[in-house]
Amino acid sequence: MTEPRDELAAVPDIIDADGGEDFTAFATSRWPGLVRLAFGLTGDRWLAEDIAQTALARAYVAWRRVSQADDPDAYLRRILVNTSHRRYRRRRVTEQPGDPPDTPVEGPADLVGERAALLAALHQLPPRQRAVIVLRYWQDLTDAQIAATLGCSPGTVRSQLSRALAKLRVSPALGAGDDQ
Amino acid sequence: MTAAREPELRRALHDTLQALPPSPAPLEAIIRRGRRARLRRAGAAGGGVVLAGVIALAALTANGSARTAGPAPVPLGPVAPGGVIAHGTADGHQWRLAVQDIADPGYSCLPAITINGTDADPVYPDPDTGAAVALGSALPGVGFAFVQLPADITGIVVNGDVSVPAVTVAACGLRYHVAGFAYSLARPLRVTVANPPPGWPPVFTMPLVSTEPPSTQTTPEKAGLWINTSSALGETASYDLAFGTLPDGQDWVIKLQFGTGGDCYELLGSSSLGSAQMGYCGPVSTPDGPETIMALPLGLPDPGTGATGYAVQVSPGTDLLMATLSNGSAERAAFCVVDGRKYAAFIVPGPLRLAKLTWFNARGRAFASTTALPQYGYVQFQP
Repeated sequence: MTEPRDELAAVPDIIDADGGEDFTAFATSRWPGLVRLAFGLTGDRWLAEDIAQTALARAYVAWRRVSQADDPDAYLRRILVNTSHRRYRRRRVTEQPGDPPDTPVEGPADLVGERAALLAALHQLPPRQRAVIVLRYWQDLTDAQIAATLGCSPGTVRSQLSRALAKLRVSPALGAGDDQ
Repeated sequence: MTAAREPELRRALHDTLQALPPSPAPLEAIIRRGRRARLRRAGAAGGGVVLAGVIALAALTANGSARTAGPAPVPLGPVAPGGVIAHGTADGHQWRLAVQDIADPGYSCLPAITINGTDADPVYPDPDTGAAVALGSALPGVGFAFVQLPADITGIVVNGDVSVPAVTVAACGLRYHVAGFAYSLARPLRVTVANPPPGWPPVFTMPLVSTEPPSTQTTPEKAGLWINTSSALGETASYDLAFGTLPDGQDWVIKLQFGTGGDCYELLGSSSLGSAQMGYCGPVSTPDGPETIMALPLGLPDPGTGATGYAVQVSPGTDLLMATLSNGSAERAAFCVVDGRKYAAFIVPGPLRLAKLTWFNARGRAFASTTALPQYGYVQFQP
């Protein structure tokens, strides 16, 4: 089993004496996880950082509400995913299957190909299906948590997940057919 | 991939996303964007609340983390008429700095500092903000600058010998306490606070502005672009103006970022062979001022091809912008409204070139055209 994927939840809460989280500490601790989540949703590192920045700025605006929420990370995650969908809504019609990700994938040589293939395969999915995959398999969220993040029903999450997996199974980017 | 391979998907996602090393959290930018959004919301809620917020923010920013014992906020003075913060004559040319709404009629107010009614620089209720601009051949050797000040600072001193009083102007339901002035580009600019209160730094660092190349980080790359101090807010709005696919299958998108750097455009292209991009910033037009026509040539990675993206910030009376290409064909440019200002953007695939732009009004009448078009960078045109 790998390490926990949900960095947003893995970071200990920083609670001051009044019970309200300090925004600076909150933003600093959540930043890496937010960027990675946005990167999973967009495949573009710089766009991911921009989306993470926008999400945290929105959280700052609603800080009283965010800090007093039962689960501030869920609130922040919802802001980020919505921000990502808005930014991509106009662009997705230009996406073409097989496009490589904009961001170079760094790391050991034997892993680079696999990471690039995964990003390319995710890039083929519609944004909502991509979000379901990332939230399920990286953030380890339940159907109900994903539904709350995306603003849909758990049933919709399950159907989107099923469709996304079906597409990934036949994705040339992931070497579909290699094992036949 | 089979369901049994979902653990592999989980592991691959983890490896891929964990391999991304994020940069340090840009806390300053995040909080500034958040503050600006708060103020915009407050602006929508009511002027009295806004004024209180501005004063509170002025006190907060003036005090800052290193100025915890700063002065208490004081009421802003009378409002100068017409948003004019400074005016005068330089080398026989009249000049005027003002805060005005630069959005097209009917859209949400968008405050900006303008020089002679154009070359707008978005302005925020942040007392640390300042910027300078040079107009190049239009007024050589002269620079213009403004500094936003806390309410309790009465003025500044330029280069040690010219006193410039701060005035209060109103725009878009907010008040701005600003000092504006013209100065000679022949020597470095030094701005000090006239009577700094306890805890307030006496010296503002303004950029050194020059009309001569080469440009550096502190000099404009072209006349007409405001150079803001480091404390100025950055991006105000961003938008994808136009996008599509070239005949050879390459995707493209023309993006806009409007902010203190001006109107900054970027053309991004991608194909199975890779991606490329080209960006450039130009002056911010006002409804009555000249329009900026921006050209972004891009050698897309497919050999023998290439394309040039064009973006134009068009006047509010424009209903249609028609692009005539070198082969005689005509193309209707797509319109977008960003922060209350209308833009048109389109792409010209190589080897074609843009030959002419024609402006049409709502009645379908052509009221302006030009063949003086850039191949790279921008030109300004008054329809």
